Amino acid sequence: MKIYVCVKHVPDSAATITIRDGSRIEENITFLMNPYDEHAITEAAGLRSQLPDAEVVAVCVAGPAAENTLRSAMAMGADRSILVVADRQIDSMLTARALQAAIEADGTPHLILAGKESIDAEGMQTMFRLARYFGMPAATNAVKISLEADGAVVESEKEAGSRDILRLTLPCVIGAGRGLNTPRYPTLPDIIKARKREVKKIDLADLDVSSPGGKTEILSLAPVAENREPREIAGDAAAAARELVRILKEEAKVL
Amino acid sequence: MKKIGLFIEFKDDEIKPANDGMVTMAQGDGHELFALVVNADAAACRERLSAYGVSAVVDITAGGGAWHPDGWADAVVQAMNACGIETLMGLTSPQGRDLLPRIAAVLDAPLVMDCVGVDLDRNVARTTQYSGKAMAEIQLTGRHHIYGIRAGAVSPAPRAAAAEVHAFSAVEPTASGIEVLSTRPGEAGTVDLAEADIIIAGGRGMKSGENFKLLQDCARAMGAAVGASRVAVDEGWVPYTFQVGQTGSKVNPKVYIACGISGSVQHFAGMKSSEMIIAVNKDPGAAIIGKCDYYIVGDLFEIIPEVTRALGAAG
Amino acid sequence: MSKKYDAIIIGAGVIGTPIAYELAKKGYKTLNVDKLPDAGEGSTAGSCAIVRAHYSTEDGVAFAYEGFKYWNDWENYLENVEDEKGLAKFMKTGSLLIKSQGHDWRKVKKHYDAVGVDYKEMSNEEVLKMVPVVDMHEFWPVKRPEDPSFFDDPAQMLEGALFCPEGGYVNDPALSAHNIMRAAEKYGAEFMFNAEVVDIRSQDGRVAGVTLKDGTQIDAPIVVNVGGPHSFKVNQMADGVWEGCNIKTKALRHEVMHCPSPDGYDYLNDGYHMSDGDIGCYYRPEVGNMFLIGSEDPECDPQEWVDPDEFYAGKGGPGRDNQLTDAQWKAQCYRLARRIPSLQVPNQPKGVCDLYDCSDDWIPVYDKSDLDGFYMAIGTSGNQYKNAPVVGAMMADLIDAGEKQGLDHDKTPFQFKMRYTGRVLDVGFFSRKREINYDSSFSVNG
Repeated sequence: MKIYVCVKHVPDSAATITIRDGSRIEENITFLMNPYDEHAITEAAGLRSQLPDAEVVAVCVAGPAAENTLRSAMAMGADRSILVVADRQIDSMLTARALQAAIEADGTPHLILAGKESIDAEGMQTMFRLARYFGMPAATNAVKISLEADGAVVESEKEAGSRDILRLTLPCVIGAGRGLNTPRYPTLPDIIKARKREVKKIDLADLDVSSPGGKTEILSLAPVAENREPREIAGDAAAAARELVRILKEEAKVL
Repeated sequence: MKKIGLFIEFKDDEIKPANDGMVTMAQGDGHELFALVVNADAAACRERLSAYGVSAVVDITAGGGAWHPDGWADAVVQAMNACGIETLMGLTSPQGRDLLPRIAAVLDAPLVMDCVGVDLDRNVARTTQYSGKAMAEIQLTGRHHIYGIRAGAVSPAPRAAAAEVHAFSAVEPTASGIEVLSTRPGEAGTVDLAEADIIIAGGRGMKSGENFKLLQDCARAMGAAVGASRVAVDEGWVPYTFQVGQTGSKVNPKVYIACGISGSVQHFAGMKSSEMIIAVNKDPGAAIIGKCDYYIVGDLFEIIPEVTRALGAAG
Repeated sequence: MSKKYDAIIIGAGVIGTPIAYELAKKGYKTLNVDKLPDAGEGSTAGSCAIVRAHYSTEDGVAFAYEGFKYWNDWENYLENVEDEKGLAKFMKTGSLLIKSQGHDWRKVKKHYDAVGVDYKEMSNEEVLKMVPVVDMHEFWPVKRPEDPSFFDDPAQMLEGALFCPEGGYVNDPALSAHNIMRAAEKYGAEFMFNAEVVDIRSQDGRVAGVTLKDGTQIDAPIVVNVGGPHSFKVNQMADGVWEGCNIKTKALRHEVMHCPSPDGYDYLNDGYHMSDGDIGCYYRPEVGNMFLIGSEDPECDPQEWVDPDEFYAGKGGPGRDNQLTDAQWKAQCYRLARRIPSLQVPNQPKGVCDLYDCSDDWIPVYDKSDLDGFYMAIGTSGNQYKNAPVVGAMMADLIDAGEKQGLDHDKTPFQFKMRYTGRVLDVGFFSRKREINYDSSFSVNG
């Protein structure tokens, strides 16, 4: 049985983003695994023990440097990985097609996990498209997954802590949320083991995928300017508090 | 002129205020605005939607129970097809995040979530990327175009219209593979972070979970939602649902009050688009002091109770 | 500005504030000017604030051991001043120096004996009892994880450690500088923030004062450069000062990592500060039950000398700006993970990236200069935090001897008598005119 985990190679959220040619980012910064995908990998490694002969395979569509992220995924528990090498940024629609083609060429999924969204493009959709192309049900922002003989019971978190309790037929696609688990980061023995594991590379062009329904294309990318002028509210606690309330009332007009 | 579908969200049978801004965003140059209302009292919200320029309310009945993510997605697609709608807008709310990508997947149509602006004539969306550090203009191609709108991105502007209600019964879809076993409600009376007008958030400076009661009291007095930085969540002081930031909620309230929050890049990624940021911090060197609109240098344990008191006095 | 000062101190970090404190106690009217908004906000805030005694020279050991006494006696040292931000705390965890090829520990032991430092020798088994998570195999030489041999199985065991029970760290270095500022203010010391010095004025071979970026001129017959990573730029502003130094300073970029402690090990409460030359790291507990991992700058690691202004502005590009790099995150965490096999290393780098004000031989320059009235306490090279209060006392004595008693420190080096240990230190050891001291470790170890 195979559990596929889709991971994305994204810039470190702490990195300074520099924009080049008005349409893409300077890529000489730290890239690492999308944080939500860490939850997906951790969950997959935990579920593996509940399934007979289960194998966890990490899949990523990105440039060759993403091997680093796949090594992290393997150190965190993936048995092997597949890198669909793309020489350019591709949108969610094509990424989902590429993931589907790569998984299909590799084996029959019992379960597909992914992070609920990526922190770079913040598109929040690839997992749903992947599910649709496969004809599988999908659930997002999972905070609890229980595997049963013929399905998966997923708690999907919604507004203000409310949850949908869903039963999905297997195979299915589940998007991991922050509340799913605590990521299990690798120890040095895990890292050493992962060094020997396989990263299978497939060229995107060889998958022969296309996106007939349309696409999204970045026309321009510009830095978001921060132009606040901080002003101090002075005085003792009581005076500052009164001034704050005045500002809420008269300037922000929220009271 | 286009037919624009607007997926309208409800909470506790009431139309969510955030819809007004979204409808305003769609007004444009004489587009025909269709409010898509699923399994709710469409007639009751006709007036409200009319006030913002909606000319038709499509009262959609979807099978499969009160709420079913695939059932609803399918029903919305059927209604769009029946009305000849090729552009759909909805809120980037928890429900929108579950529903809009499903609709996009069914239609195999491009989708941009969390838009702060849309150009419906050119099919171009504006949204932030890379933790709010970059603003992207994104071209959508193809026949259908779907936009998830950030709550509060545009202030509501009334435009009178007279909406008619059209009933639409969706055909029962083929089995979806999802069974909704139950829906467990969240905490009653809590204001959702993403749609709150005021957020008061605590960070490392709160020192403990018990101390968040100070913020809860203050929040109650001003009708705010309570948020937290990642540190406060990682320390176990509050549940992760409180978290504002890169891997928490992205919010843009009118006022964001940060208490004892140093203001990391990751925290700013979640709240930098707030209209007004007020920082309360004992450390004048904290990053947030340089990136806010107002700041109070001082002890939040003295200041916040004073604010609560002042609000009480102000009535 | 009509106010007249006896001494202007450029910088209000953990070295600048005690100089003000001690000078003010002697009756000097002092003013600290700092370009940042508050005391200790510069490279002091990025300090690991380790308090340890092992240095490569006997004087170094004695100086550090003297410092212990100040940290132990913090409230008294501050004369029980009240600080609205609270007081920094000396976390006396004890300090383990792993016996390894990475440190000349035999020399340290000899110095400990000579100075009278309280220590014990520990076997591997005893170290394991103290720190049950460690693997006492030898991993020397220090390598980078990019080198495949990094992952080779170790063959040899280490030889134990030297344990110094009085060592530890200070929990909030910026706060400690703030505390000293408050203590200094009681003696009339003044502090001016958000004030950047752009020129040092002199007349007839004597310093006359400083000029700030906004054009303000402040006069004083004594100016002390405690500019931290900016020290070389400050020296260059003063006539002939930079040229008169045989030992120069530069800003060195340095990354410090925060990695969570292994599950089940309460490093924050049960852990020790450890210096581990075998893996080129030092580590100490950090809030959130983290290992704070500093690097001892092994030869295989790149050294980035940067412009401090560009660095703090976040310019210069990856590996040269103030952000952690993935490669160094892995290098430092994986090295510690060799010592602690159960350490789990997150994917995202967390920690602090700041600058050392590094001298040519990693030993500081505490000295006068070729311009009369201009002094410097610079080149702290990442290893002087613990000594800061002692440096304050020594610099004040040195300045007083030069200005009030007419001592020519270059000819007859000032002899500083330490308050607690009573030892006398030849301050000529820290001279700007010295030849490079080849006894130095040429690292953060000093």
